[in-house]
Amino acid sequence: MSHEPVRIGELIRNRKVIVCCGAGGVGKTTTAAALSLAAARAGRRVLVLTIDPSRRLAETLGVARNPPTPVAVPADRQTAAGIHAPASLDAWMLDPKLVADESVRRLTKSPEDAERVLGNRIYQQVSSMVAGMHEYTAMEALHRLVNEGRYDLVVLDTPPSRHALDFLEAPRRLSGLVDSTALQAFLPRRDSLVARAASKVIEKILGAVFGDEFAEELVSFMMTFSGIFSALNVDVNAMRTFLSGPDVAFLLVTSPAPETLAEAHFFQDKTRELGLPFRGFVLNRSRARNTSKRWPDEAALDEPSPEARAALPKLQAMANVELAAAKRDLSLLTELEQRAGSNATAIAVPELPEGADDMLTLLTIADALAAS
Amino acid sequence: MASSLQELFTRRVVLITGKGGVGRSSMTAALATVAQRKGVRVTICDIGDDPADYSPLARHFGRDRLPSTPEELVPGIKGVVLLARSGQELFLKSVLRSGTLARAALSSDALRRLLSAGPSFKEMGVFFQLLTLLRAKRPDGGDEHQLVLIDMPATGHTLSLTGLPELLLKLVPRGPIAAALKEGQSYLNDPKLGAAWVVAIPETLPVSECLELLAGLQKTGMPAGGVLMNRVPLDPFSAAERAALQPSIERLNPLGAEGFRRPVLAQREIHRLRAGTKLPIFELPELTPGATLISSLADAIGKIS
Repeated sequence: MSHEPVRIGELIRNRKVIVCCGAGGVGKTTTAAALSLAAARAGRRVLVLTIDPSRRLAETLGVARNPPTPVAVPADRQTAAGIHAPASLDAWMLDPKLVADESVRRLTKSPEDAERVLGNRIYQQVSSMVAGMHEYTAMEALHRLVNEGRYDLVVLDTPPSRHALDFLEAPRRLSGLVDSTALQAFLPRRDSLVARAASKVIEKILGAVFGDEFAEELVSFMMTFSGIFSALNVDVNAMRTFLSGPDVAFLLVTSPAPETLAEAHFFQDKTRELGLPFRGFVLNRSRARNTSKRWPDEAALDEPSPEARAALPKLQAMANVELAAAKRDLSLLTELEQRAGSNATAIAVPELPEGADDMLTLLTIADALAAS
Repeated sequence: MASSLQELFTRRVVLITGKGGVGRSSMTAALATVAQRKGVRVTICDIGDDPADYSPLARHFGRDRLPSTPEELVPGIKGVVLLARSGQELFLKSVLRSGTLARAALSSDALRRLLSAGPSFKEMGVFFQLLTLLRAKRPDGGDEHQLVLIDMPATGHTLSLTGLPELLLKLVPRGPIAAALKEGQSYLNDPKLGAAWVVAIPETLPVSECLELLAGLQKTGMPAGGVLMNRVPLDPFSAAERAALQPSIERLNPLGAEGFRRPVLAQREIHRLRAGTKLPIFELPELTPGATLISSLADAIGKIS
């Protein structure tokens, strides 16, 4: 075991998978994109995998939203971003429905079979509302892409959720359903008196809830669905084992807020409990660097007109607020650093011009991350 | 068209929506406080996956999570977490009149798995628990939960819930599920009874997402009440003062420069929102976070409603 301190700059150069976790609205997708850029600039073949991304990010990277497979960031943008062959940057902004359709096509025995499933009205209406589907498809895509070996690094931006680790829990629900034995109970049984009685009860319940006709349709849909998806062979446990390995790093993306520390604590405990390689906190929108900005005194004014003099105290009041915020963010970073311990790191990414998702901003963040 | 914030407090069910990080939970807590001050029996909810989930909304009332059955959090404000599983149980019990059958259903492992992952069953459970709250009557015949305020999850999940009835009614046009969905629609899609209010802050991404959300709500037939524009910075500078400070600020980017620029950027975003929607937009000031945030925000809402 090495006792070198963990650095983000190292992670992007030598890991195969970086998983960015975090609550919604903390700039997780932007961070994932910046990490990918940094890794590709460092010479690796990189894929950034994200669900439900912002339109702006897709525009910045110059890729379509929701394509059926990963797409390369256009060559001119790669060159402009300092990515040179054999290094490359691909992005895949997953649409869970398209991924599910794609899986159906891949896993059914014939195109006719595929069309039968894709044409099923229950499938069309609600396949994307199968609980855990987003997470499951992301997991499946990650698993497949890592095994294919086309990429040196896959950066995964986990689906938005209230809890940073929902991503790991949700597929279990779906895998419980996909487990081939789970749905047997819904089929008419003849093997034993007890099984027959049990399946009668279930039939009665489903009939009462959904109406007999729809209950039958639903069960037959679920059977087909689970039949197909069990063939995906994403063993959630195997995936966990892989994610616990040395090639993987989990990062918590967060932003300065009263609950940040509590969240960080929870995340760290939870990853430890699950045996996952937690490697650091990325604190976005940190204003810590503002501590070094100039104080707006009278000497700072170009031409101290009467208006400027009158307005100065108001500007200074704002400066005080900003300085206090900067100090808070600085001490938050210190606390995160302490909490990170020796196996992980904490890094602050400065507050950027509001709403900035352009390439220049991404590159600024990428450089800050690579240098850390 | 006399649309006002006052209307929010006369509805039966109000969905508080918006992008993560805009202060949705604080806004829900403050609106509940205003309702309570007006003498409205208000019940606040959030949507959980697990009874042990930590709830940002509950924190405003000194708890880690909301109770799984309605309970008074402070005098005049009740709270409950809407859980798919609770709703599914309530639904099964109401449909399977026989107690034995309901118990058998709930103890069936296969059925439990189906309910926890089956398509849209989670949303259906939440939907049914909400319906149960809306139906509940007091001994005097009045509504037990006069106003139900829901702190909604992220945009995508909000639209899955508001779009649920239409989606499922296409598949299951008759039977108990259809009846429950139609009853739910009679609250949610009636502009006199139900409304969604979007919380936003005057920044680029939240305003863009707000516009997307409003379009999505309209598609799902959910009436939108308006936008609560949270954390609008006050501009202490006169036009002459701005002009006088501008060059120095551009040159030095000193401390205070961000505060100097923010009101201008905020107004630009509010204008962009106004251009994109006809709904009323209510501006609420930026307040100091801390123990008094909710009551100060409630004061500010009270002033304009």
